[in-house]
Amino acid sequence: MSITATDVSYGTKKKNILKNVSLEIKHNEIVSLVGPNGAGKSTFLQILAGDFEPDSGFVQYDGIKLTKISIQERSFCRSVMSQSQPIIFDFSVKQVIEMGWVERGLSAYIDDFHQAVTKTAKECFVFDLLEDKFSNLSGGEQRRVHFARTLIQLWRPSGSQEPRYLILDEPTANLDLFYEREILHLVRKKAIDGFGCLIVLHDLNLAAKFSDKMAIIHNGELVKFGNPKEILSSQILSEIYHLKLTISENPFRINYY
Amino acid sequence: MIRKIHSYSFLKFTDFRQRIIIWILFFLLITSIILSTKIGAFSIKLLEVILNSASPLNEMVLLEIRIPRILLSCFVGASLGLSGASLQGLFRNPLADPGLIGVSAGAALGATLTIVLGSDFVIYTALERYMIPISAVLGSVCIIVLLYVSTKGFSQKGIAYMLLIGIAVNAFATVGIAFLTFISSDLELRSLSFWIMGSFGGSEWVTILPGIIIISFAILWMIDSSRELDILQLGESEASRLGVDVKKLKFKVIISSAVIVGVSVSLSGMISFVGLIVPHIVRLLGGVNHNFLLVGSAIAGGILMSVADLGSRTLIQPAEIPIGLITSALGAPIFLWLILRSVRK
Repeated sequence: MSITATDVSYGTKKKNILKNVSLEIKHNEIVSLVGPNGAGKSTFLQILAGDFEPDSGFVQYDGIKLTKISIQERSFCRSVMSQSQPIIFDFSVKQVIEMGWVERGLSAYIDDFHQAVTKTAKECFVFDLLEDKFSNLSGGEQRRVHFARTLIQLWRPSGSQEPRYLILDEPTANLDLFYEREILHLVRKKAIDGFGCLIVLHDLNLAAKFSDKMAIIHNGELVKFGNPKEILSSQILSEIYHLKLTISENPFRINYY
Repeated sequence: MIRKIHSYSFLKFTDFRQRIIIWILFFLLITSIILSTKIGAFSIKLLEVILNSASPLNEMVLLEIRIPRILLSCFVGASLGLSGASLQGLFRNPLADPGLIGVSAGAALGATLTIVLGSDFVIYTALERYMIPISAVLGSVCIIVLLYVSTKGFSQKGIAYMLLIGIAVNAFATVGIAFLTFISSDLELRSLSFWIMGSFGGSEWVTILPGIIIISFAILWMIDSSRELDILQLGESEASRLGVDVKKLKFKVIISSAVIVGVSVSLSGMISFVGLIVPHIVRLLGGVNHNFLLVGSAIAGGILMSVADLGSRTLIQPAEIPIGLITSALGAPIFLWLILRSVRK
């Protein structure tokens, strides 16, 4: 049960964006993807999500090639949260969250629908906002609503064994310290429930703290992949980020200022 | 991983208030239809017709002139309202309307060509009454093909591009129409100007029946994409991650609006602003979710058009005001108000 990328390469005429990246996201596991701006993180994430196909290499969900899975079936087992666009019309927060309810996949659980929305909204701290207009919310509030929508998409009755994957592109952007911590705790909770999670994060300390494995991408190449404490070294990080970085061991911390 | 495909029905009108609004709109539509059948240059007592005691003249006016005309106006209004609502959803732009993608301009150009140049050719009398509608539909089909080819089959990144092509097509068609107007004779000019401003006068069963059938099919085809249009508001890539086949949705909405707009324009001429204004009014009434908006816009479009047509044929009896004048006169101030309102926000 995993999402795997095998030798994924992608490029435009001018530039190779990704070079032979291989990665596996198992269930019960949080993998964080870090690297400087323009390293190819978002492109990799889009390829994993199935937005477009790589030039070479392939992506598999649970051993099946992504190209063999229909757009609809993909939506049943993985949800994606990325930098979202503004919503033009005045949808309410509740309606935006409900958009995540992939009906054809979840219609078997129609009776649970309202309960699922309520529970997820509470988990993401947006329950009090449900009747508000989405476009009137602050950036951080909108982010939490989108996160709730992303979770609703994978909602199943508790105890479900279906493989599910969360792909999150900077889920904590615009969030204050409290919500940053709570959202990452929630991701951890989902991983315990059986989700496989991939998170793009910029804060190396958060990434090291909250993930089981870290993948460092630089110039389109996977530099390191593994347990955060084992793969992070001040030498590699300093080189990648062009910064003087030190790592203190106890407590584990990356210092860069 | 084969799953049974369920219908979208469980989310339909979850809102009780929206359901009430739909019923009220429906009631208003029926009322306006009944009023329209009664009022006119020829006052008709409906009860007499039903009881078969009306004079043959009254009966003929009702069955052969008035009813087809009212029916057509409702269908055209419904199709313009519906396609306006779906296109605004598809382009995620509150200012989109059926004219924007250039289809109605194409239809107008096709019809104008026939009116001005068609008389130079010999036309079979049996087909004569179909010549203008058919050439209008052909004109809109040309535009659809042009759009389809130039956006590589409405592919992923084509949406802004499509608007620009629509603008170019509109400009081109305007030039064509202006040129044809310039070279037309007095008689042609008269039928041209009436047609460009829109009219339901001269509706006959033989011409409107095929049109109504086509419009009905297109409406039924389009109206069940409401849930997908909702999800599309998150953005194209988000929607496809939520399982919406965005390319198919674009194809469906654009083809069906092109068809209904082409057919509407071919039967009644250019009627502006309805497709733009009606969805906004319906949103203000009850909400933005498309399962409400699409149905509401279709009904409200029908109401607006039948009332406007009633005005067009009764305000300056026995003459008729072109219906496009009425809808524009109503629509322009509302449009201005919408823009000012969105700026103030």
